[in-house]
Amino acid sequence: MLRRFYLEEPERVQEASDLLARYGESAKAYAGGTELLLAMKEGLVHYERLINIKKIPGLDQVKLEDGAIRIGALSTHRKLAGSPLLQERLPALVRMEQNVANIRVREVGTLGGNLSFAEPHADPGTLLLVLGTRLVAEKASSKREIPMERFFVGAYETCLEPDELLTEIHVPLQPAGSSLVYLKFGYLERPSVGLALFLAFNERERSIAEARLAVGCVGPTPRRIDEAEGMFRGKGVKEAASLISRAGEIAGHASDAIGDLHGSQDYKEHIVQVLLKRAFHHACGKLQEAGKGRGELHG
Amino acid sequence: MADPGLRRIGGQMIPITLTVNGVIQEIEVEPHELLLDVVRNRLGLTGAKRSCDVQVCGACTLLLDGRPVSSCTLLAFEARDRSVLTIEGLAEQGRLHPLQEAFIERGGLQCGFCTPGMILTAKALLDENPQPTEEEIIDFMNGNICRCTGYKKIIESIIAAAGKMKET
Amino acid sequence: MRFEKQIEILGSREKVWEFLWDVDRFITCVPGCKEAGTVEAGRIYTALMVEKVGPFRVEFPMRIEVVQNDGFSTIKAQASGSDSKVGSRMKVELEVHLMGEGERSRLSFVASVDILGKLAALGHSIIKRKADQVMDEFAQAVKKRLEGNS
Repeated sequence: MLRRFYLEEPERVQEASDLLARYGESAKAYAGGTELLLAMKEGLVHYERLINIKKIPGLDQVKLEDGAIRIGALSTHRKLAGSPLLQERLPALVRMEQNVANIRVREVGTLGGNLSFAEPHADPGTLLLVLGTRLVAEKASSKREIPMERFFVGAYETCLEPDELLTEIHVPLQPAGSSLVYLKFGYLERPSVGLALFLAFNERERSIAEARLAVGCVGPTPRRIDEAEGMFRGKGVKEAASLISRAGEIAGHASDAIGDLHGSQDYKEHIVQVLLKRAFHHACGKLQEAGKGRGELHG
Repeated sequence: MADPGLRRIGGQMIPITLTVNGVIQEIEVEPHELLLDVVRNRLGLTGAKRSCDVQVCGACTLLLDGRPVSSCTLLAFEARDRSVLTIEGLAEQGRLHPLQEAFIERGGLQCGFCTPGMILTAKALLDENPQPTEEEIIDFMNGNICRCTGYKKIIESIIAAAGKMKET
Repeated sequence: MRFEKQIEILGSREKVWEFLWDVDRFITCVPGCKEAGTVEAGRIYTALMVEKVGPFRVEFPMRIEVVQNDGFSTIKAQASGSDSKVGSRMKVELEVHLMGEGERSRLSFVASVDILGKLAALGHSIIKRKADQVMDEFAQAVKKRLEGNS
């Protein structure tokens, strides 16, 4: 049973933001509630007011505009999992969304809510980190764009101000000849290890033009692993493949894993290594698929 | 459930209209009331169960506009202007739904605690994909947990139900 | 969960020891310690521990009992408290060792922290990280207080 609270149902972002500003810590934005209500049921948090933002129109669209995919923050995981536009342009995102939590959570939970709650054991943030994603946050008087790398500040903490709402997630279109893989691992209700790899291939020089790697779930926030990325850039596929174990070790250590009920620190770091190996081979496999009929891709 | 008189003191009442098993209900709920409690305690439909209470097991599954939701973690007012289907609403004029028949015939239940949620979720699957492969069944149903059966008979029941529904 | 910290302090053992028993000064070094009181000087103390992680806030009113006091070298204490709002209990066993010669001391802490109840399952890794952070901050604060001023 939940403790009593008062429900506000603003119909504009400005109104919602004003309410959040006015009531401060005693109010919270509420969308799908799949994280928030759990915390409230456990008694871990209490809010005197929930600001239901689902009546604000226009926040659940998925569009292609100005070379970027714009996802409304109120899009449910289910909507994203079934979006034809995303299936065409970002199939890896679709596959990730299809496997978030369970079917009932996907029906009700929103991408914006997931990101804003910043639960460490979650999938979307890790993948969005390797896509050059920018988040749009709005409040009564202003609107700003936040690069994904700056969004997560700590476990359950984002850089959003208390009266700010996440309204859109912008993902730039990925260049041709690139591939994107998200892999996760876990047997508990939430994922234990998540890994996202983006590789862009320079066909003429048969080398990896760009590599972006993010590890999530094991540390307080998902994070990019610069050092491992640097190891792949400019290398031929074969040479990069020979560096995978080392890169995996580095990624494991840099992921800031901590031992808990999901596994010991060593175990998680090891899984990171395994997932990187698999992701790399998946990604190169995809590149090979894409490059079929255009000659050998492996250098 | 709390005494109705107490409930109204200092409470914000939200009047809602919703369809439950095809019947229009007009009720007032407080914002903090959970759909599971309203369905079980106010409407007397106790097929949906409070089991894990953290939306992972599926025993509280209801179909909201035909889609499975965890009623233990859904605020009741979210069902306003929508249709709710509970296990009690599957049978029509005393005739069991093919899924219910199949689960009984094939032994897709033992203690029966997870069964209402299983059957409702299976209904959502068959409504969307009338002839699913075993893999598709497993993928769709993997958010519903059963402690008794080992799942094999549940899958068989769903396949059998799909067969029955194809014939009709 | 087990934590160990060691710090070197520019100060005599006597000075450090005195500081450890000066409850009012001591608690200003403990992150999250909001109120502290003495029930029986040298033996039983109370303290309110408040921690916040993102939107989550826990309050543990602790009862601390000193079970061993070896005068200028070792203190062993046990503490426990419950946060009824989150249905959780915290138990701490703390060992403090003070060593050193002349104007240099070494303070070492070994803390065994157990969280029981809901938080144990839900927040295990966060608690671990937070506790580690708290121990670090505490050790640094003690050093700073003792070396900086009196």
